[in-house]
Amino acid sequence: MHSINILDYTLRSSQGNTLETLQSIKNIDINISYKEVSTLNDAVEIPYYLFSDKVEDDANEIKEAIKKLVETITIKLTPQQRAKTALIIGTSLIDKNIIDSIESSVYEYKKKPYASSKKSIDSFANEISKELELNPFTMTISTACTSSINAVLEARNLINSGVVEYAIVVGVEIFSQMMSDGFSSMKLLSTDIQRPFDVARDGLVLGEAIAAVLVGKDSSKWSLRGGYSNCNSLNITSVSSSGEEYAEVMDKAMSFAKVTAQDITMLKAHATSTLTNDMSEINAIKKVFASDVTFSALKPYVGHTLGACGVLELAMIMSCIDDGFIPQTLNHKDSIIKEYTPLQEHKACSCGIFMLNYFGFGGNNTSVIIQKESK
Amino acid sequence: MKLYVKAVSSYRGHLDGSEIKKELKTKYKLDTRRQDTFIHLAIYGAQLLKDKVEISSSDELYITSGVGNIDVLQKTNKYVYEEKEFIKPFDFINMLGNTTSYYVANSLGLKDKNTFQISNNFTFINTLISVFASLNLSQNEAIIGSVDLCTNPNEVIKRVLGLDEDAEVTSSVNYQKLSLSSSGAIAEVEFDTKIYSLQEVQELIKNSDLKVMTSPRCKGLDSLKDSEYFETMPSYYLNKTIQEKEKMLYIDCFEDSYKIIKIIALA
Repeated sequence: MHSINILDYTLRSSQGNTLETLQSIKNIDINISYKEVSTLNDAVEIPYYLFSDKVEDDANEIKEAIKKLVETITIKLTPQQRAKTALIIGTSLIDKNIIDSIESSVYEYKKKPYASSKKSIDSFANEISKELELNPFTMTISTACTSSINAVLEARNLINSGVVEYAIVVGVEIFSQMMSDGFSSMKLLSTDIQRPFDVARDGLVLGEAIAAVLVGKDSSKWSLRGGYSNCNSLNITSVSSSGEEYAEVMDKAMSFAKVTAQDITMLKAHATSTLTNDMSEINAIKKVFASDVTFSALKPYVGHTLGACGVLELAMIMSCIDDGFIPQTLNHKDSIIKEYTPLQEHKACSCGIFMLNYFGFGGNNTSVIIQKESK
Repeated sequence: MKLYVKAVSSYRGHLDGSEIKKELKTKYKLDTRRQDTFIHLAIYGAQLLKDKVEISSSDELYITSGVGNIDVLQKTNKYVYEEKEFIKPFDFINMLGNTTSYYVANSLGLKDKNTFQISNNFTFINTLISVFASLNLSQNEAIIGSVDLCTNPNEVIKRVLGLDEDAEVTSSVNYQKLSLSSSGAIAEVEFDTKIYSLQEVQELIKNSDLKVMTSPRCKGLDSLKDSEYFETMPSYYLNKTIQEKEKMLYIDCFEDSYKIIKIIALA
């Protein structure tokens, strides 16, 4: 009941499509752009992992970008399979439709004639589902950085309880000035590079992404063996520096997946490169794993894609393992805990059991276990 | 699909945010700092539920809304884009959907699954489906909180929800504690994933001996309708049916799609 198969994946990151992103990771050839954000005193340019083909923060453009990616999966499904496929989106996007409605209603000089059409973020899944003739059950989940991985767990529940037979789960995050300024206000953005688990880490770099996975019960080399999500933190933005809340969610995910720490081939850390999050996570890793654990961080390749990172980093790991390697952690020199150093060179690996961590604001912690069979 | 209702709480009205905040501080002794009216409304409904039923730390929490925290977006939009001020960190955090569910979980002492979800126009009914699927796996119980805040001017929310300009809208918060077990239940609620056509719904109404309520959006149906609108209205009518010890079909709709829940009060 806790497991399900992952039948397909696809992604669009700042580095390109699935294959292009894989090549950029493999060759460590990373493209990064810059964006202006506000600070208390000034506006500054910060690094930002942006799509090479711009997607505007506009309902129609975002919907079409999601649909284009989802189509690459649905094209392989029969009409009968499509009719049994739910569409679930995970995102932390701020709803531009609401902002437009506020501006059209509240400010006299921006006043527009009354017009009302439901075109919010939660409409995307419904409209795409109709246009691609999927099952009418759609849902949009917003739990900050765990949004799309929590959407994967929702899909697992819906399939295992017989509500639908398949689900396409999409993670999406597009550049938003409000979101970027918000992270800037919290002083969480690096003006340089992300340094996961490094003593010199100074913050995260945001990124854009749209990624999707198809899950169901059909046979597949990849499976989601289990996962666990909870809400447990010290306060709204962080857990204890001891990482006990993260360790709990990792332990429970393994328990539901019926594996032990010794069974884990590799851990994909959440690793935002912020002072507090990385400290808590490395302490949690130390509580759960022996020091020979293989772990790595993906955000230096594509940025922190917030609500999209759940499905994006899941797809990236599967893509790398399908290509025969575990990606190294970039920009790491000096570990927070010497005995626990993330992977420093790509490591050959084509199968195994993998733990993926995701932690978000609002105390939302999620850990999932995936497996690729050796044949 | 069927879920059993263990307890409910409702608040509905043209909101005086300061009164709710005062109630949270004085009656419930809660810290209301760094929050806003939408979050206060969500916590208030949760506390009303807590007054009626025992909450377990393993209860799963689902917060759903037609629009989400419109209050903070309206406030922030004004001072950032109109007054050119720098965004305040806690306003930024309050924009995230699950910030509300975090504060609700904290006020109830919940530590397990916690999600904020929306679903185009049928958000409450689809959340029931999500709860049913999850409880089948976890065997926990669940709490759904449906929160809709109407800000001033109410034209904003009417534009967002796709309503007529002359529609009446209001704020509302409704909670249910739900279980797969009938033990101690005060009602049962049945639902499915099916989208009904107008003709199918008309046929169902004709053949049903239950009271029928329809969403004010259901223009093609000549049934009882509320004079005001909020997106999570089926949640309110679930609670109302239980309070009035009735049996009811509630029909929700958007454009040409209809969904139905059947509510039977047991106690």
